Amino acid sequence: MIILYFSIAFILASLVFFFKNQTVNRIMSGLFLLSQIGFNFYSISNIGKYDSIYYKFDALGGLFSIVLSILSLATFYHSYLYFQRHEFSKKQESAYYSALIMLIASMMSANYAENIALLWVSIEATTLFVSLLIFHERTKDALEAAWKYLFISSVGVAIAFMGILFFSMAPGINGLSTLSLNNLIMNAKDINPLWLKIAFLLVLTGFSAKMGIFPLHTVTVDAHTVAPPPISAFISTSLMNVGFLGIFRIFTIIAKTSTLYWAQNVLLIVGIISITMSAIQILRTKHYKRMFAFSSLEHMGIVALGLAAGGIGYYAAILHLVFHSFVKASLFYQIGQVHSIYKSYYFKDTGKYFKFYSLGGLAFLLCFVCITAIPPSGLFISEFLIFKALFIQNRIIVAILALVLLTVILYVFGKNTLHLLYADKPENVDLNNVTINKFETLSQFVLLGLVIYLGISPPIFFTDLINSAISILK
Amino acid sequence: MIDIFIILYSMTLIYFALAERVSKYVILLFIQGVLLFCVLFFSLYKIEIFDFIFILLETILVKAIILPWFMNKVRRQNQLKRENDTYIPVFYSIIIVVICLLVSFFLSSKLQDTQIHSKYFTVAFASVIFGIYFIIIHRNIFSHVVGYLIIENGIFLISLALGSKMPMMVNLAVLLDVLMGVLVLGIFVNRIGNTFESVEIGHLTQLKD
Amino acid sequence: MEVLSIFLILLTALLIPGITGMTKAKIAGRKMPSVFQPIKDIIRLFKKGAIYSTSTSFIYKVAPLVYLSSVSVSILFLSVGSKISLISFHGDFLLFAYLLAIGKFFMIISAMDTGSSFEGMGANREALYSMLVEPAFFIIIASLALFTDYTSLNELFSNMHISSNFSYVIGIAASYVLLNTAMTENSRMPVDDPKTHLELTMIHEVMILDNSGFDLAIIHISSWLKFSIYGTLISKFIIVTTLPFYIQAVYFIIIQMILAIVIGFLESFRARNKMEKNPQWIIMLSAIAIVAFLSTLIISQKIILN
Repeated sequence: MIILYFSIAFILASLVFFFKNQTVNRIMSGLFLLSQIGFNFYSISNIGKYDSIYYKFDALGGLFSIVLSILSLATFYHSYLYFQRHEFSKKQESAYYSALIMLIASMMSANYAENIALLWVSIEATTLFVSLLIFHERTKDALEAAWKYLFISSVGVAIAFMGILFFSMAPGINGLSTLSLNNLIMNAKDINPLWLKIAFLLVLTGFSAKMGIFPLHTVTVDAHTVAPPPISAFISTSLMNVGFLGIFRIFTIIAKTSTLYWAQNVLLIVGIISITMSAIQILRTKHYKRMFAFSSLEHMGIVALGLAAGGIGYYAAILHLVFHSFVKASLFYQIGQVHSIYKSYYFKDTGKYFKFYSLGGLAFLLCFVCITAIPPSGLFISEFLIFKALFIQNRIIVAILALVLLTVILYVFGKNTLHLLYADKPENVDLNNVTINKFETLSQFVLLGLVIYLGISPPIFFTDLINSAISILK
Repeated sequence: MIDIFIILYSMTLIYFALAERVSKYVILLFIQGVLLFCVLFFSLYKIEIFDFIFILLETILVKAIILPWFMNKVRRQNQLKRENDTYIPVFYSIIIVVICLLVSFFLSSKLQDTQIHSKYFTVAFASVIFGIYFIIIHRNIFSHVVGYLIIENGIFLISLALGSKMPMMVNLAVLLDVLMGVLVLGIFVNRIGNTFESVEIGHLTQLKD
Repeated sequence: MEVLSIFLILLTALLIPGITGMTKAKIAGRKMPSVFQPIKDIIRLFKKGAIYSTSTSFIYKVAPLVYLSSVSVSILFLSVGSKISLISFHGDFLLFAYLLAIGKFFMIISAMDTGSSFEGMGANREALYSMLVEPAFFIIIASLALFTDYTSLNELFSNMHISSNFSYVIGIAASYVLLNTAMTENSRMPVDDPKTHLELTMIHEVMILDNSGFDLAIIHISSWLKFSIYGTLISKFIIVTTLPFYIQAVYFIIIQMILAIVIGFLESFRARNKMEKNPQWIIMLSAIAIVAFLSTLIISQKIILN
């Protein structure tokens, strides 16, 4: 079934690429969305089954795929609006859509891959397509960011491959299936712990370029700043989920062995350093898109802390990822709107947004409340659970340090958001001939409402998915 | 017999540290591809015959022919002649290459395990470390791509050292990915050369606070 | 019979510069000089008197003699093929290397003794390059010593050919390193151009700029003897010891001739390095020697790696 999905995606992408026609783009994107949602329903209804030897519809992959589908709906909608607002050549537009379709297909492949080698191949494929998308606007900044992202991601993923090679020495089935997750989890106790440690370190370093935590986080920040707004929203959410999935799979392999405690220490260090760096950089930056790109770094640091904490921390980490995806996506969509009005990415050029366009201002205010984990945001619940798990595990100093840093970040966000919304407008900004699409903010309210609803009263279906995803770690 | 090729491979690493002209890098990449092919050819005892021929062909084609040819094309299009001023003078780079080799030698003699073929592992690990060092000291993005290819050659040797049971199909996938990656990287090098009028990374500094 | 090997070394020492000159002339398209041309030059120099500057001390007069005598004594440590050398004891390769170094040291201080700035500059560079190339020789000998468990030059070479598989590998690496070491120590291409007339770019030539007559003749002879010494070392890697001695002697002479021709080729076709590039090039030789050493460790399984 998944092979069918891939072939549909590939055919649609090539059709879009070869017929450089706008209506073809829209029809093919619509068809792709339909097949995406249909495949998602199929995979959710068949949770736990294998498919095409190397794929398995497991719970965590299913959860991330639901997030991916919802976000891809929003992405296609916003891309459509983005192309209406800006002028691009037909070739660029069709390249954009075909790269986007292939990107979503490779992310689905990474979500469901059961064999680690296939996971690696999918992640490398996403790197290629993302760099093509970042380069879409063809400016100098875009070129620089796309080059840095592609190069450092490739080096990082190559390092991760070195780590994966260490797993191929595991006992068990011969051949390619040595790297199947099932096999590795069963035989994890028989692997030399030194290999496990080396492999974990290498994979963590390599996939940190995708997930956006220390050490290779810098390229994700640059890429999210420069990409077109619908793409920034997409890659700073779903792609980080894919990066997390890569690290999480390796984590599940070592979860039952004696290296678990060591790995949790490593994740703790990585998480706290990520939050520290993010706090330092957020204090300095004056570019609001870059500021919110650093906020992704901070949230991924919190997720790493959740994994390091264990117990309820596992549940909270995955919850945090899901909520963060929705909130960050709506935030970046709103930033796209703000930029189209003020034509500048710096805070000093903005002001009086609330008065000018109240609906957008309201959305921005809600985004601010949600991303800084103020109740009733769902992020409040996940962060609360993560800190609770940290205190239970007696990691008090780390937890207090993280709380202090989060306060600093909250202060900076609050200051800048209130400046954007309520401060006096600078003189050189001309707001007269901007057209605002009233329906653009609809997607953001839907996403934010989803976050609040899922935080306050999550449906049984949702909690069951998460619980079965982390059942392997117990 | 394999020992000779591994020794020659480590000598190419030393020549990478010594060389200053960009065309020499391309020639050395070609030599490394041929050496890897020879190493693969003589390790007959691991794999069945059909996979084996396929992998041999694919290695020699991608590593020794397509990649150097493509890099040469990019080099000619951007008219790169000489590497100007690495961050560390060449004299110290040679010393550092030797230190890399010694360090990986001691590491591999500590990691004694029946499943690792330490003969390959020494040179492979040194190649990865040297590739990272190469990327750090050079100012030219073309040299960065060359460093990336050195890392990939090292990883190929590691997979020979470690993968006692893994068939070469994974290597096939990796090679294809690397090929795609380098093609896209080459396109970007051309673009950067055109847009910024030079390929030095001193020009790629716009994205900061 | 051991004296025969010394005789062979001396004979080839006289022939090497002639053959090198003939090769270079042939490649350059000029008419070839005779093989005995360098010997005739030496005889001409012997007939001249030497001039000593008033700013020099006794070192300047003594240094060429020390140079010649140290090189001559070091010949006594070598032998051709399977013969035993005249002097041999444990660790004699150290004495061998440092005898050559004493000669070089006296040349360096005699160059500085003249007080000329050019000669001081040449002495400076010569000292640096000798320092950088010294590890190469020692590491090659050390890998041999590791392999055969002996420390005398004689026994090293005589026991090396027992396992012939390995001797190819080490033979190729050692020949390459020793050839380039010979070129460096004798100040030939690509380190130094013997034909250059620009003092700022000379290294060895500028050190002997003020020597004349008898001293200059001795210095030239010493340089030829050094070439022959390195050629002997290289030939010991190549000649198989099981053959009867006269065939080994013939092999030896042929190898020296080939060495002279190769030197002629290298001199004709290579340009001299940029001055900054010389230290890099020389330390690359030491690096290759270290690689050969590591591979000895692996191949001879002193450190067991599977």
